[in-house]
Amino acid sequence: MTRRKFFQKLIKAGSAIIVGGWWLAKKAVPRKFVRAIKPNKYPGSLRPLGDIHKQSKWSG
Amino acid sequence: MTVQCELCPKECLIEPGQSGECRVRINIDGVLRTVVYGYPCSIHIDPIEKKPLFHFLPGTKILSLATVGCNLHCRNCQNWEISQANPEDSRAMNYPPEKLVGLTKHYRCLSLAYTYTDPIIFYEYTYDTAKLAKSANIRNVLVTAGYINEEPWKRLLEYVDAANIDLKGITEDFYRRVCLGTLKPVQDALVLAKASGILVEVTNLIIPTLNDKPEQIRKLTRWVKANLGSDTPLHFSRFFPRYKMRHLPPTSLKALDMAREIAIAEGLNYVYIGNIRSELGQNTYCPGCNSLLIERSGYTILQNRLKEGCCLDCGKEIYGVWK
Repeated sequence: MTRRKFFQKLIKAGSAIIVGGWWLAKKAVPRKFVRAIKPNKYPGSLRPLGDIHKQSKWSG
Repeated sequence: MTVQCELCPKECLIEPGQSGECRVRINIDGVLRTVVYGYPCSIHIDPIEKKPLFHFLPGTKILSLATVGCNLHCRNCQNWEISQANPEDSRAMNYPPEKLVGLTKHYRCLSLAYTYTDPIIFYEYTYDTAKLAKSANIRNVLVTAGYINEEPWKRLLEYVDAANIDLKGITEDFYRRVCLGTLKPVQDALVLAKASGILVEVTNLIIPTLNDKPEQIRKLTRWVKANLGSDTPLHFSRFFPRYKMRHLPPTSLKALDMAREIAIAEGLNYVYIGNIRSELGQNTYCPGCNSLLIERSGYTILQNRLKEGCCLDCGKEIYGVWK
């Protein structure tokens, strides 16, 4: 193996380690959110507005 | 990919397809989604005194809404059927912010309350609606446990006019054991809310054997006075056996009266008793001359003797938003 080929292989291996490490770190560190995104649809069922004038039975 | 929600102090790490502790903030394909945005499970027009807010537009009606979910899991929760429900098991209405503001105007309500569960967990819906409401001259009211991180809280407060914030207890142990949360973030949220200039009222639900001892009440009222000021209205609220605390009796009137007396002796000017009929504990008295200012019966105002926010007899300015 010539010196040039040796260095080429060394650079390739080094690059692969860096890219792999970055990919692993990206996977391991969670994406952080404060604001969440709107839903496409509600996961439960939908109903019409009830008697809005009736005082709520809920506390608050 | 795992996501982390940084809205509240729980800072849940959420795996794909899973939700945070609040049940409504879900990791869908590596993106955090708020599945209740625009889908309230409850909309009602309530008297503002029911929130309870006694120093904010008394005698007016307030359009009140909630979605399912909560970031706390209080064992005594009075609204657990909606606060501890999963969105997929619930029935909701489709009311995006603009439709909600339209509804508030249609029914001539002066304000909108984000209440019943906790508006923190439907943060984006609350924020967008409050912003829109503010531009339509509608006031915004939060009824919350105040369990939120500083940065989103500051941003939300820009559009809020008043809040009733629960101070459920005064020890970390109480918050850990009863609410599965922590006390410090709530105290920070209270201080920040007050400092932001909005009207703040505080509610403490008194639970027999858990937070009803005189020294606990004294400690709580001293904290309120020292950190929020003696003019901050404090509501002692009656507990009813619900959810995982059905073994405890309802709070007695005697315990509530005792709490009120302690708070007044400690120097708080406006102390109220809620969820129970009480002669003195529902009225507002002038801290200057002790004359009756606002007489209430339940959620009804019997008389309001304030003139431009001041006592009719001695002229003292009374803390509140009166028009």
